[in-house]
Amino acid sequence: MTVPTGDARILDRGYRRYDGPRAGTAHAVRSVIAHTLRRILGLRRPARAKVLPVMAVAFAYIPAIVFVGIVALSGRFGAQAQADLIVPPYAEYYGFIISAIVLFVTFVAPEALCPDRRSRSLSLYLSSPLTRMTYLLGKVLAVTIVVAFVTVGPPLLLLLGRMMQSAGPDGFVAFLGVLGRMLASGAMLAAIYTAVSMGVASLTDRRAVAAAATLLLLIGSSIVTGTIVFGLDGPSWVFASHLTAAPLLLVGRIYGESTGLPEVSTLALTMGALAWTALGSAVCVLRYRSLQVTR
Amino acid sequence: MAPVVRAQAVSKRWGATAALQGATFEIEPGITGLLGSNGAGKTTLLGLLLGMHRPDEGQVEVLGRDPWTQGADLRARVGYAPEHEALPEDVRAYDIVRHLTEVHGLPSREAQTRASDALYEVGLGEERFRPVGTMSTGQRQRVKLAIAIAHDPELVLLDEPTNGLDPMQRDQMLALVRKIGHELGLNVILCSHLLEEVERVSDAVVILDAGRVVRSGPLTELRRSDANELMVEVDGGEPEVARLVAALAAAGVAARADGASVAAVMEDARALDLVRDTLADGSFALRRLQQRTSSLEEVFLAADAG
Repeated sequence: MTVPTGDARILDRGYRRYDGPRAGTAHAVRSVIAHTLRRILGLRRPARAKVLPVMAVAFAYIPAIVFVGIVALSGRFGAQAQADLIVPPYAEYYGFIISAIVLFVTFVAPEALCPDRRSRSLSLYLSSPLTRMTYLLGKVLAVTIVVAFVTVGPPLLLLLGRMMQSAGPDGFVAFLGVLGRMLASGAMLAAIYTAVSMGVASLTDRRAVAAAATLLLLIGSSIVTGTIVFGLDGPSWVFASHLTAAPLLLVGRIYGESTGLPEVSTLALTMGALAWTALGSAVCVLRYRSLQVTR
Repeated sequence: MAPVVRAQAVSKRWGATAALQGATFEIEPGITGLLGSNGAGKTTLLGLLLGMHRPDEGQVEVLGRDPWTQGADLRARVGYAPEHEALPEDVRAYDIVRHLTEVHGLPSREAQTRASDALYEVGLGEERFRPVGTMSTGQRQRVKLAIAIAHDPELVLLDEPTNGLDPMQRDQMLALVRKIGHELGLNVILCSHLLEEVERVSDAVVILDAGRVVRSGPLTELRRSDANELMVEVDGGEPEVARLVAALAAAGVAARADGASVAAVMEDARALDLVRDTLADGSFALRRLQQRTSSLEEVFLAADAG
């Protein structure tokens, strides 16, 4: 016979009134960030939604893991072997993972922005304490965090791997210097690619179209600038609008390393990066301001 | 008790189209039907109540707040279920309800519990972990309803909640609306173009026609307009109705057939005695005798004609 214990309670599933505190807009934005991160990474969604993010993250991290592994193994063959080992400088590492970054940004922003407009759930967000701009802020932050995961994470892993093998920066100040450059480079790349991809994704509610258009813009900018600078002997500053090479050049400047790309002034590269970021952001903001949700 | 909504001479244009023209009305606590044909301005009005649009002219006040200047604060206390599809297909019902409850300001732990409770309340307790895309139209409408009530709003705005539902699902949805308003105690504005739907669940009604408010007020008041008519229902069907109309006419009481009953005009105090005597003399089997009230359809048609 079952004897009821003193802790036994009847579970009341009924609707209850809520008298507790209600958090403000910051809480709502945080919720949008968390929900968007889950969506982008395919969490709590079917397995097929996880394939692309896992692939892109793997492509970005595998070179770093391989380099760290090589450094670790070389340590076993003595100091000379380790000294002879050629591991690419930090700035050059981005050259290895730029394809992964491009692949990542082409699907991240469309995944964050398009479904809400396609399914028309944007109207549910805008009937909450969120406004168009605070909603967009949540989306921007979510996309930036995810993109930064592949622009900051892998070099950071490389740095940690090198340090574990005593092949990292010499001293704490040098470490801080490398770390600062790493964060600045990663943040700069994340800002440009977030802004550009969100600008494109704001123009269509179809994820595939947005991804293809983003890819087209990234490749198109390289073809156009390359043709102007190298094919037509145009001014070198035009190269600052190259959407994949120019940011890498700027990364090289941040690290003070030569990246073997054509010489363009740092000012032009900075202006190019700022211009793309501003343009992408402006397109996205204007698009969402004018978007008709209900009538 | 303060009105839930107060609108004073509100106008809103979309380009050349006047969606609302000088709408003035008050909505008291309870369930209120916002009735009007397609294009009457119902959805625009909901947009104004939510602070999504700014009125071109006039003033709107919802729960004592100006929706345009105090929108974020107001929307935390309002639930909204749009007319159109608004749910991402590959997200589980529970996840979207929980997320939007959080967005409305409830702490995460509370949002988790209330999302489940709201889905149970609308009859989707067992289905709550299914992706929305695998649900039927009726179930999706219920998910929207759960989203609208999960954060315990003071006011729930439902835009055509029975759209696309079959008759049985419609009945169930209307029962849920009635439950939300009368049992859970939330104020509800039910937008609909279906008279019968509004009449079944609402305590009051605002009738919109081409952007103008043509009638508004408690349903009982709007329907009490035929105080000088008596409804007499007798057994025997059409032949008995016809015989009673003729007998009343012979007795000097103006009467007409009104479906299965007879509407007799009470011109003076003596008319009631005449009706009683006619019924007794003619051996009619009286089923019901009451003051006649208008149906909402008659109110609507009268307002439309006016």
